[in-house]
Amino acid sequence: MMLEPILPQVLSVRRIPNADRAMLEAYGANPDRHCALGLVTCDQDDALYVALDEATKHAPVSVVYARSFYAGAAHASGRLSGEILGVLAGANPDEVDEGLDALLRCLQHDACFYDADGHGTVTVFPHVITSLGHYLSREAGLAVGDAMAYLVAPPIEAAIALDAALKAADVRAAKIFPPPTETNFSAAWLSGSLPACEAAAMAYAEAVVDVATRPLDR
Amino acid sequence: MSRTRTLVSELRSRLGAADPLPPAPAVPDIPPPPARVFPVVLERGRFAQAAAKHTTALVGIGQVGSRYATDVVLQFQAELAVAHEAVNTELPDEWGEGHALLPLRSRVTDHREFLLRPDLGRRLDDDSLARLRERADRDPDVQLILADGLSAVACVGSGLDLMSHMTRECEARGWRVGTPVCAKFARVWLEDEIGEEVGAKVAVIILGERPGLGTGDGLSAYVVHGPRVGNTDGNRNMMSNIHQRGTPPNQAAQRLALLIDAMMTQGTSGVGLDLTGLADLGEAAGTGYRAPQVRERLVEMDR
Repeated sequence: MMLEPILPQVLSVRRIPNADRAMLEAYGANPDRHCALGLVTCDQDDALYVALDEATKHAPVSVVYARSFYAGAAHASGRLSGEILGVLAGANPDEVDEGLDALLRCLQHDACFYDADGHGTVTVFPHVITSLGHYLSREAGLAVGDAMAYLVAPPIEAAIALDAALKAADVRAAKIFPPPTETNFSAAWLSGSLPACEAAAMAYAEAVVDVATRPLDR
Repeated sequence: MSRTRTLVSELRSRLGAADPLPPAPAVPDIPPPPARVFPVVLERGRFAQAAAKHTTALVGIGQVGSRYATDVVLQFQAELAVAHEAVNTELPDEWGEGHALLPLRSRVTDHREFLLRPDLGRRLDDDSLARLRERADRDPDVQLILADGLSAVACVGSGLDLMSHMTRECEARGWRVGTPVCAKFARVWLEDEIGEEVGAKVAVIILGERPGLGTGDGLSAYVVHGPRVGNTDGNRNMMSNIHQRGTPPNQAAQRLALLIDAMMTQGTSGVGLDLTGLADLGEAAGTGYRAPQVRERLVEMDR
């Protein structure tokens, strides 16, 4: 069935209430401000990036580490690895807990890939963030509270769809990740007003579906 | 509800899918952040309750959880602001002359320097010294000096009142009072130089004392027998908290006169002065009924 949500699977959620100083430093936290860490692995990297950003809106936590694994969830190093490890850091375990709650809520109800060809062999992530948190706003060079379209698809679909999205609405590219990324997908972050971001994201999804349906049709 | 899922669902039906997507599960209620509301607990101790009726000190103020109540904190901050303001106030240059006092000035040039350099506040500048030599009476029994000290507010407020009470008390005892002077940017030890210059037997400096909480109007009086530069605090006697909620100026003048009397008799002051004779202050003791002291409310709050 076309454009059906493919829900992200959370593979592990763990917490370190009082992490060692060396551990904090290695994962990018500041030992003077942070004490507790929350670690999550998930089989959809982009959904987790969005969820990590969501956590920073609900709790005083920082996203200190978030990296995708090479070649994606289908080639993971272990059953719990998925395709990303995300780390939240906070001044105490309660704050990290609040952040993790918001993160899991976001993965369950909001951010997910969609099936673009009806067989699950082409997927698209046409996500609209209505209000950026501290993490993605910093990564994208935008302000906290801005709207952003977070768009991901496989290489050829992404290229065609990004062009369509940029032409569909008054948006500008905040950042473009051409292939290959770690997971071999291609991504783009577009900024503009919320309606413009929504129109761009839907144009993107529609173009991905189009390419997936007629890949050889010039 | 996810905005993106709604949009994709719409796109899907636009692209011709007949069957609607199953609706996304409802977002659970997000619990409000944990907050504990503590009731205001009034003071339970009977001693503290009784004491609070008679003092402006912070006793019997109750609690909220393990902290002060908000109105107590606000009152505290307001009183601290009063103290800061008193320290930062500067005595106007022409104030002394305008109140028939001989205007003098220490070697300090500005208010910041006054706070940072106590040593400069203990000596007269050259102009003041010349003016003192030219215009002040020589060899009085008592030399009265009014000064700003650390609270010009107190000096302007009740300084003249205390000066006139002091003059009356001294003259009633037959002492010759010197030309009253007003010193700006003055520290306590300035009385030594002034007293030595005019050749006074006893020098009294009345100056605004370092403000405490809500008491920016307190005066102190430092009395020294045989003033001369080089005296230390061991040569002085002092009386503090001269204001309406502490020792009122008229009563303070009576007590200071008794103190000066003892100095005149014994020919010394400070640690050498025998105060046992002052055990019975008589009228100046002020042991009669006095209305309970109430903390002045600077902040009003609805409980």
